[in-house]
Amino acid sequence: MKDILWLIKKTLRTTFRKKGNILLYLVAPIGAILIALLAYGGQTTDMKFGVINHDAGNMAEETIAFLGSIDHFKTVEISDNDVSKAVTSREMDGVITFQEGYTEGLLKGEPDAVHLTSIKGDQVTAFVKSYLYQYIDHLATLGMAADGNADLFNKMYEDYQQSEFQLTTTTLTDASTNKNLTISAIGFLIMIMMMSAATLSEIILAEKENRTYFRLLSTPITARKYIISNIIVNMIVMFIQVTITLMLLTYVFHIDLNIPFGKAFIVMAIFSVISVGVSLVLVAFSNSRGAFSALMNLVIMPTVMLSGCFWPVEVMPEVVQKISKFLPQRWTLDTLEALQAGSTFSSLYLNLCILFAFAIAFFLIAIYKFSRNNDTKSFI
Amino acid sequence: MNILEIKHLTKKFGDFIAVDDMSLTVGEGEIFGFLGSNGAGKSTTINMISGLLRKNNGSIKMLGKETNKHPIFIKKHIGLVPQELAIYEDLTAYENVSFFAGLYGLRGEKLRSRTIEALEFVGLAEKHKSYPKSFSGGMKRRLNIACAIAHQPKLIIMDEPTVGIDPQSRKYILQSVQKLNEMGCTIIYTSHYMEEVEEICTKIAIIDHGKIIADGTKEQLKSLITDSKLIYIDVKDTDHVDIDAIKAIPGVANVTLAENTIQIHTELGANNLNQIISYFIENKIEIRTLDEKEPNLETVFLTLTGRTLRDA
Repeated sequence: MKDILWLIKKTLRTTFRKKGNILLYLVAPIGAILIALLAYGGQTTDMKFGVINHDAGNMAEETIAFLGSIDHFKTVEISDNDVSKAVTSREMDGVITFQEGYTEGLLKGEPDAVHLTSIKGDQVTAFVKSYLYQYIDHLATLGMAADGNADLFNKMYEDYQQSEFQLTTTTLTDASTNKNLTISAIGFLIMIMMMSAATLSEIILAEKENRTYFRLLSTPITARKYIISNIIVNMIVMFIQVTITLMLLTYVFHIDLNIPFGKAFIVMAIFSVISVGVSLVLVAFSNSRGAFSALMNLVIMPTVMLSGCFWPVEVMPEVVQKISKFLPQRWTLDTLEALQAGSTFSSLYLNLCILFAFAIAFFLIAIYKFSRNNDTKSFI
Repeated sequence: MNILEIKHLTKKFGDFIAVDDMSLTVGEGEIFGFLGSNGAGKSTTINMISGLLRKNNGSIKMLGKETNKHPIFIKKHIGLVPQELAIYEDLTAYENVSFFAGLYGLRGEKLRSRTIEALEFVGLAEKHKSYPKSFSGGMKRRLNIACAIAHQPKLIIMDEPTVGIDPQSRKYILQSVQKLNEMGCTIIYTSHYMEEVEEICTKIAIIDHGKIIADGTKEQLKSLITDSKLIYIDVKDTDHVDIDAIKAIPGVANVTLAENTIQIHTELGANNLNQIISYFIENKIEIRTLDEKEPNLETVFLTLTGRTLRDA
């Protein structure tokens, strides 16, 4: 064990002596958080809608006033010419246009002169519609009851406004932004961890190329001990990366992970083992650093992208989503998302078993390949 | 007492036999020279002795113990100076030596003092804080040696330690080898520089195609070829020299060409010097100098293998 510690000490010393490595191993996780913050941190739950009023009557103004009274909903009067710009630039979530005859339609009980323009899809328009259409329905009911009599309608509307309702409201915290931000940061962290593991395992090939590996094997150090020392250094670096990322998210940026710190750490620790396994497989199948780099680019980036580390997996075609089920990164994110949704570790035993199976499989492949290497360059 | 005993050692790479039924012994306190051309099997043998390669057959005993049964014990008593530089460019000279010495279990004050001793021995004590990238080729070679001696091994294996360095560094290294030997180390020294082996080795084995074709002291090896001699003819221009024509002269065993010098290996009692000179006169090749040499290792190697080390 002493000689393994001696190797670990030397590897850590030479690794962190290079500024580039410090950037990759320690600063890059901070970059992952910042990228995630850029992607999700600016999101607020407030909605801003533009309104255009072509109605000559008073009910459009009443409706606009009603919309303005809704929590987290703001209205801004704009002109017809500004609609496209406001919507496409995402300056506003959408535009509501009250056409001429809106009040008249309500009085007849046949409202149809409201247009909603948005490019943000159902998740935004459904919210507005749920409030707006219900309100218009009420007014239309009053119009039908008034049978086109404007005075009666106004009187009924005034009574409606002054009627007393007992309403209790509870504001729920919207955790979706923090959840997305956490998953996004971890997605980037997964990529950084895989790159780090690969770079650290590449040391094995570098030592072979500069012949120090063979010199090491002429000392009492065995190939097995050497590989173990490399794995331990790899694990140390990745545990530091995971700790930095989770601590910064929680204690510096005050982002609620929606997962207990310990559980998030355990899942990422399992992924660390997987990353080391993958990097050892890459080393085992490479006979030079050049071949290793090519293999690394071929494996890491595509799998990270396919598994939804950079964007939600749901936006990808169904076929790609199925492919992602064969990737350990997907299962790691899946496990974290399930934990965020409130699942317990015991209910996620299948996910954890699959993650462990990935780790074991990669290590077995690496050991098999190393042991098949029968020349002086054999590792184990 | 023998420090190393090799019996019927064989190593194959597929169908190629790199080491073929080799047997030899190295006595304690010897500087044992391994002489052979590139690909003769020297490095393969060394790799098997130092545990980097598995043998196919035979046995290697060091200090009376089988290397494959007691690998850690054996490795602790060996210091390997590999043919190619095997040092860390991102560690200082001190850190390099200290790191390798630490792998043999040295720690604390003992590690520090042995590291400094090793650096002093190779003349790099003043450069102990420098990184190898600022070193000349010769200095890197010396650091390569320091990394192998700090743990004070009983057997030091040096695989072509003087390849590609300046004459001054080469001289320094050869003196170091002799000094280490005087301090009690047994040394296995491989080289294809004939003069180096002849200068420092107390016992020599000539290896060719994976086999030991002769071994013994310099004198014993030279006595193997009392029936031949070497004639060196330095000519102005070698363009018109026909080696086959010279070989056809009775008694000539072999002819090699190196720059403007023709080496003629001929039988001692052949009395063919007149014929050889006549060939050059008839072909109007101007002779600048002619020298007849007593048998040396070069002659021995040439006689036994039919090639010079440079050819091989």
